[in-house]
This record gives sequence, C-alpha cells and structure tokens, in this order.
Amino acid sequence: MRIGFRRAVLALSAAACGALLSAAALPLASQGQTPAYRAPRTPDGKPDLNGIWQALTEANYDIEMHMARPAMALRQGPYGPLPAAPVLALGAVGSVPPGVGIVEGGEIPYKPDALAKRKENQEKWLERDPEIKCYLPGVPRATYMPYPFQIFQSQGAIFFAYEYAGAVRNIYLKDPGPPPVDSWMGQSVAKWDGDTLVVDVTGFNDSTWFDRAGNFHSDQLHVTERYTRTGADVLSYEATIEDPQTFTRPWKISVPLYRRLEKNAQLLDFKCVEFVEELMYGKWRKKPLSGE
Amino acid sequence: MTRTMIARVVRVLAALGAAAVVVSLTATETIPRMPDGHPDLQGTYDLATLTPLERAAGSSLVLTDEQAAKLERQAAQQVATGDAPLKADRSAPPLGGDGSIGAAGNVGGYNRFWLDPGSHYTMLDGQRRASILIDPPDGRVPQVTPDARQRNTRAVRATSDQQIRENDPGLEPEGSYDDPERRPLGERCLLGFASTSGPPVLPNYFYNNLHQIVQTRDSVMILTEMVHDARVIRMNAQHLPKTIRRWLGDSIGRWDGDTLVVDTMNFTDKTRFRGSTENLHVVERFSRVDARTVRYQFTVEDPATWTRSWTGEYAWPATKDLIYEYACHEANYALEDILRGARLKEKETKR
Amino acid sequence: MRSRLSILAAAAGVVMAAAIPVLAHHAFGGEFDPNKPVLLKGTVTKVEWVNPHAWIHLEVAKPDGTKEEWMVEGGTPNTLLRRGITKESLKIGTALVVDGYQARDHSQLRANGRNVTFPDGRKLFLGSSGTGAPTDGADPTEGRGRGRGGQK
Repeated sequence: MRIGFRRAVLALSAAACGALLSAAALPLASQGQTPAYRAPRTPDGKPDLNGIWQALTEANYDIEMHMARPAMALRQGPYGPLPAAPVLALGAVGSVPPGVGIVEGGEIPYKPDALAKRKENQEKWLERDPEIKCYLPGVPRATYMPYPFQIFQSQGAIFFAYEYAGAVRNIYLKDPGPPPVDSWMGQSVAKWDGDTLVVDVTGFNDSTWFDRAGNFHSDQLHVTERYTRTGADVLSYEATIEDPQTFTRPWKISVPLYRRLEKNAQLLDFKCVEFVEELMYGKWRKKPLSGE
Repeated sequence: MTRTMIARVVRVLAALGAAAVVVSLTATETIPRMPDGHPDLQGTYDLATLTPLERAAGSSLVLTDEQAAKLERQAAQQVATGDAPLKADRSAPPLGGDGSIGAAGNVGGYNRFWLDPGSHYTMLDGQRRASILIDPPDGRVPQVTPDARQRNTRAVRATSDQQIRENDPGLEPEGSYDDPERRPLGERCLLGFASTSGPPVLPNYFYNNLHQIVQTRDSVMILTEMVHDARVIRMNAQHLPKTIRRWLGDSIGRWDGDTLVVDTMNFTDKTRFRGSTENLHVVERFSRVDARTVRYQFTVEDPATWTRSWTGEYAWPATKDLIYEYACHEANYALEDILRGARLKEKETKR
Repeated sequence: MRSRLSILAAAAGVVMAAAIPVLAHHAFGGEFDPNKPVLLKGTVTKVEWVNPHAWIHLEVAKPDGTKEEWMVEGGTPNTLLRRGITKESLKIGTALVVDGYQARDHSQLRANGRNVTFPDGRKLFLGSSGTGAPTDGADPTEGRGRGRGGQK
C-alpha cells in the first residue's frame, strides 16, 4: 500500500514536471498554440520593426467598447441624444461607429472625480478635444489613430514618424536622464526584452487625450509600450497606462498594428495646422468670412 | 601576407563582388559604414554657424585665420555684451519704441540668452568659409527673373529712419496682417523659418539648428528640430506624381559612390523658398568628411525664379546635445496676438 | 538717443546687443505696442516652457498695493534645455525685473521680455557660462554638451 502510494506520488510528480517542462518549452507568446513567430533580424541581431504600420480599429473614437452614437458632440433631443448644432450638417459622416475597444478588462479605472471630468470633457468635446485643433496627439493615441506611422530602425537608432500632424518620437536607446520639461509626445527610452521592444514614456504634459470620447490623463502619466512582431505583417502593440492622479490602478490597452502593403505605401503630408486656422483665427481676419 | 594568401584573398573578394568596397575602404578608412558598405551618415548635428549664405560680391570664399579669428571674437563680444548685467535701477524703455530694427520691431525683442546662433565660421577642406554659397563664384545668389520680381511683392524694403519710428517695422508690404495665410510660415507654425528644414537645409542664425539623420535599408530620415519635421528620403524610388505636392518637396535618394545624392521636387506653391515657385528643384549631396562631420552640399534651381542654378555647401558637425520637442502651434499665442494687434491698430488709425 | 541708436545700428549693420537680429522671424512690432513701455517688478507665479516662445508669469504689485498677473514673452526654451536648464530652474517666487512693451491689446497684461533680469540687473539662465549665481536655479555643474545623447 505504502509502495503503491509512493509510486503514485512519484508518477504524479513526474507528470507535473513533464507538464511544466513542456509548457516551458513553448514560447511564452503562444502557449498551447503554434510556436511564436520569429521576425527577420536587422544586421545587429534585433527583430526588424522597420516599416509603415497602422492600426485597424475604431479606438480613436472611443478606446472602450462602445455602441454607435449619433455624433461626437451631442445635444438632448426629444427622444434621446442628437448631433449638436455645430456638427449637424455632417449627417451620418459625423456619427460615431461602434468599436470592440482596446482596453483590457473593458473599463478604464477612473477615480471618481476624474470620471466626472471625463463626462465634462464629453459634454464640451468641441472646445476640449485637442484633435480638433490639430495638436500633437500624444502617446498612446498616436499609435491607434487611423493614419500610418513609420518605424525607422538601424543599429544605434530607433525613430517613429507619424503621418498625423507630422508628429515624431525619438526612441532613445540610451537613457538621457529625466526629461527637463513636459512635452506632448513625452520622452521615450527603449530596451529589448527578448524579441519585444519595451518603450518607457515619461515627461508628458496633461494636454493630450486618449480618444474623442474625453478620456484623459494628468502630467503624471507614465506609459510602458511593448512592440512585438507576431507575423510577417503584424506588430502586436500593448501599452500599460499609469497615472495615480487620474486612475485607481494601472491599466492596459492592446491592439494589433498591420503593415501597409501597398507598393507605393509612404507617409504623406498631413499638416492639419493649416486646416484649423479659420476655426482658430478666422475672427481676426481684416474681413472675417460670413457665417453662412 | 604571402603571395598565395594575397591571391586567395583577392579571389574571395572578387567572388563577393566587393572590389569597389575594398577600394573605398582603403581611401577613407576613418568613416563609419553601414553593414551594406555605404557610409553611415547617422547622428545628431548642430548646424549653427556664423557663415552667412552669401558674401560681399567678389570677395574671397576663404577667410584667413586672422579674419576668422577677428570676426569670431566680435561675435563672442556681442554675446558678452548681450549677457552683461544691467543697472539694478533701470527704467522702462523709451516711449515710441527703442529703435530696434527688423523683426525686433522697435520693441527690443528679447534677451540674448535665448539665442544660440553659432560661434564659428564653417570649415571645409581646411578652409574657413566666408559664405555657404560657392557658385556663382562671386558669392551672390543669382539675379531673380523679372517674373519673380513682379511676383514677389513681399520683397524686403530697406527701412528709413522715419519708418523705424513707425510701429510697423516696415519690412512688410500693406495687407501683410490681413489674414493668417499672409503671415510667414514660421509664424503660423507650418514650417520652421529661414529654410531650417529646407531643402535646401540652411542654418537659421537664431537657435535650434539641430538635425538628426537615421538611415535604414530603404530610407534616410532627416529630423529638423523646428518644426519637428521628419523628411523621409525614399532610396532608389520614383518621384510622386506631379499632382501630389509636399511642403518639403518629394525626396528620392541614391548612392553615388560614397555620396548620398538626394533629388527633391514637387514642392507646394506655399513653400516658396526665397520666393521661388512650386517648380523648385533641389539636389543635395551628403558625404562624410570624417567620423564627426558630414559635408552638406546643395544645388538649387527654379528657372521661374533665378536666371541660373546656384550651389552652396557647409559642414554639419556632430553634437552630443539632444533635440527637444518643438511643439509650435500648440502654444502659438503670438499669432493670435499679432492678428488681433493689427485689427486694433486699424481701429485706432481710423479714429 | 533713440535715433542715434538706430543710425548706429543701420550704419554698422550690427546686431543690437539686447535685441534679436534682423531676419524674418516673428513680428514683435505687430504683437507689442512701442507706445506702451513697461517696467515690471514682480515674482514668478508660473513658467510655461513652451515653443515657439516661453512665457513667464509674474505677479506684479501696483503702487496701490493691488496685484496684477502679467505674462512675459521669451524665446525658445530648447536652447536653454541644452544648457542644463529644466522646468525647476526658475522657481516660483523668484523676484524678477522686466522691461519691455505691452501687447497692442491693452486689456492684455502681456509684454515682451525685452530685458528679463534679477533685481540686481543680472541676466537669467547664464549658469553654464558662469555668470549666473546659484539663485537662478540652474545647476552650476551642468553645461553645454552634457553628452546625454541617446543615439550613437
């Protein structure tokens, strides 16, 4: 009996070890599935992230999972919300499409007063969304706006150029120390964790939003991004958001980025600053345009 | 090495088709190279220099050591004067303006400590250069065409003593403050002033002359600090169709030996480098002088603007300094204040 | 005096020590009013380290004791950052003296920072050249070319 028990224990342990070992043998990225993709290397042996990438998502409208909505600026109608007067002429073009969201766990963990501020942001969207003024989009919003961005990676340098507003990010491979002032796009310092590029972003101002739904942050924002090639034309993007002034705990977003495969794929000029001059300065023209 | 060893090496190299690389390696061993054998142009560069674009007609391109030293001393003296302390009990500046000319607008601009225009004349081929322009040989930008003269009613007029006392600095013709579209691109935060991003890339003689080059297999990216412009040079590619115009033009590149040759055209009609048209065509040549310095040469042509093409060159020395974010439009209080100021002045003048 | 200065400047083509050089940069003359010179003595309440121009907010006490909030326009912060200045360098409460001209819209308490100094007349942000005292907030051990480069 005792021998049988011991053998059973031994057998169980062996089985457990075997299970552990086989689990360890599988690459972390795909346990229980096909082996992880191994990206081609740059000459210095790092996964090659070069290329033009773009997210395929509605997250720029609202990073949380959401139903379609009549517009980004709403007014109360007799039977529910309607497009506010300034956006009414856009009709369905101005409506908000539904989205499955990119927030892991579904909801952003706002502190109560921050949640109230988000509601205020939504009510005052036209005045407050920095995208309307073509302000620099910040991180992570720049990643999942529906426009391409290009990664330049050589030995010794990594650089991101975004088509939207010509935003740029220098991804330092050597930590230059704390950022001396706040900035819109933050200061990015990167290192490799196996085949994942981990980018630590600090030094943000409090002026960017996460989307068009009023989701915001303070200047305590700290973003940790993870870029991993998961296929010939797919780059997995995850970002951890920390901001103790705004949220009750850190939270994560994740969204795949796809390679732009068109033969003539390239970033073109999207200097929207020019397009918002009439909105911002039109009243100061010598002859302001008529408000037809 | 023995003869057989040498022979073997030569056979191997020939087999690898690396003969050209071997030749250039022995000629310029000090320059860093990319894995594909082309020169590595990467780095952060501070182009600030005292060397102006043009020099006095017919004067020498090359400054003597004494001339350069004297001029650099004078520049350093201006910095010292500008940085010198003022009296503790100074009063407000003069009513009616302080007489400062040009863009300082008779109100004195701001302190010297904000500036970083450079402290040396650019050095190439062991020569301290008196101008960036090397062709035409007299050191002056060629004559503009009659067409251009007519087109560019924005030409700078010399200010008279009388005009200096006026509130308007007198550098701009009537109507210059009527609309935001009439203001300089730099003031609108659309492009950095003084062709800092170009092309052609020029020193701006004020501040923030930093640029960064990142080089990959199929692109060379040049970041200009103002206004955070990343120009992507597509290697061995075709130009965009003529219907697509770009603020910095459309740049394609190829290697000519150890020189990166960049061809840029298809500018917008708003870019207007020195009053030129959308038909501006710029050819740039980047090469390495040594591990620290890039030689930047450019040729500009626009038959609608200049009677002939012109060429300039200067050195891009590497810097350990960092480029910082230059978010411009995001806090551009000045543009609104300038337009509002013009409307107020008009109201006052009417009374 | 003023006309002498302007003749001198025109003749010698010399950059005026306190003013920015002649080149199309930005129309200070359009933004500020040469007929409204100001001398502001106040303390720093806020510094906007932004481009294209930094703005120093000053609390200025008027003769009658009431306080006014002025905004003083400076240059680009980026040059200063490369000299080691940070957002902590100009501390709130620092006493400053500013001479300049008020914005054309006189309802705006804004002025160009023609000269921004400490009360004793010393210019700001000169720590790296050794002429600034530690009270300007700049770390005297920091200088140009700090070698913090994040690239090769």
